[in-house]
Amino acid sequence: MVSFWVLLLISLVAGFIGAMSGMGGGVVLIPALTLVGMDIKHAIAISIVSVIATSSGSASAYVRDHITNLKVGMFLEMFTILGALTGAAITIISSRRPLFLIFAFVLLATWLALFLQSKEEWRPLAKVDRFSRWLELRGSYYDEAQKQQIVYEGGRAYFGGPLMFGAGLIAGLLGIGAGALKVLIHDLVMGLPPKVSTTTSNLIIGVTALAGTSVYLAAGYIDPGLAAPVILGVGAGAFIGTKVLVRLTNMAVRRFFLVVLLILGVEMLIRGIRG
Amino acid sequence: MNLKACFLEQKEGARDQLLQARMEMMVGYVLQAGVVVSGLLLAAGLLWRFIATGHLGFDFTLSGMNLYEFLVHDVHTAFSGAARPRLLISLGILVLLITPYVRVLSSMVYFAVVERNCKYTLFTGFVFAVLTYSLFLR
Repeated sequence: MVSFWVLLLISLVAGFIGAMSGMGGGVVLIPALTLVGMDIKHAIAISIVSVIATSSGSASAYVRDHITNLKVGMFLEMFTILGALTGAAITIISSRRPLFLIFAFVLLATWLALFLQSKEEWRPLAKVDRFSRWLELRGSYYDEAQKQQIVYEGGRAYFGGPLMFGAGLIAGLLGIGAGALKVLIHDLVMGLPPKVSTTTSNLIIGVTALAGTSVYLAAGYIDPGLAAPVILGVGAGAFIGTKVLVRLTNMAVRRFFLVVLLILGVEMLIRGIRG
Repeated sequence: MNLKACFLEQKEGARDQLLQARMEMMVGYVLQAGVVVSGLLLAAGLLWRFIATGHLGFDFTLSGMNLYEFLVHDVHTAFSGAARPRLLISLGILVLLITPYVRVLSSMVYFAVVERNCKYTLFTGFVFAVLTYSLFLR
């Protein structure tokens, strides 16, 4: 049995990092919980509940700062929830070792993609297709770091949507927000500015996590006694993390999650191989 | 409004920006209220437990209940007068789970009634339907 204070501390740190990066707390939480002896499926189930808290808490702040693009979020949610239901159902019937390996693979793949991309600053899409225009994916926000109003329009939604099913699948499967993956799709495929990507992915994560949670709940994987300190810890950590993000530049945020992703990815890979 | 017009591309004007901003406020408050209430319930449950027993750890599982059964179970316990720390904890989790659900529902209503945007009423309606299905999952 994991001690209450250990759970709370791990959750606090996980929530902080999760909010800063827009990844949700799960990416740090699950490896840490399995390290202190929790079964990976239970860690995944508890994590996905706490992801609802992180996502909702930080999304509530971002939405009112007018950075989040609600329409982009609500369009893409249709795909992520279906993915999350599928993913969670797979985890329940899967054995444990593949879960470690998939976790490691997702972390490292995300790391690589972010690493290769990290030198570029955001540029608007040259041309927006008709379908995306029809979806009204325009938006603008005031960037505090650059001291100017940024105007943008999301594109290639016909491709971004289906890819989001994959992001939702990973989220449900591994109990994480899969925010890094969602951010990647927003950035690379749909051409959204990084801050809009992270904040909009935060909004989507809550609903996606709920879809996954309902599967774990019905399967009896959620223990309220363990979930309570984790939710409180992750929530408090995320609250602090959100306050920090608005003040940082895009590059600083990216560098920070690159380091975190790499360490966790390697750790999960080793554990998956050793079994 | 007729169905054909509602699927045409809408021109963005000052009105839309205002509506958008109002919706952002609404979504923000729904999410914040859910998280705060849930956090308070969980914290109160843990605190109560600590005062009553000197322990913070809890040890109870929900043996495979879906959200609906979870809700019925909690309401039943609450009305039977057995307000225990466990009840607060499980209500806290319940409120958390319902938060994004209410966010989707309120967005759907807003898109339908205030913004009169059929596309997005349908999109959020789809999300709402899938979530409803999943919460009654067996």
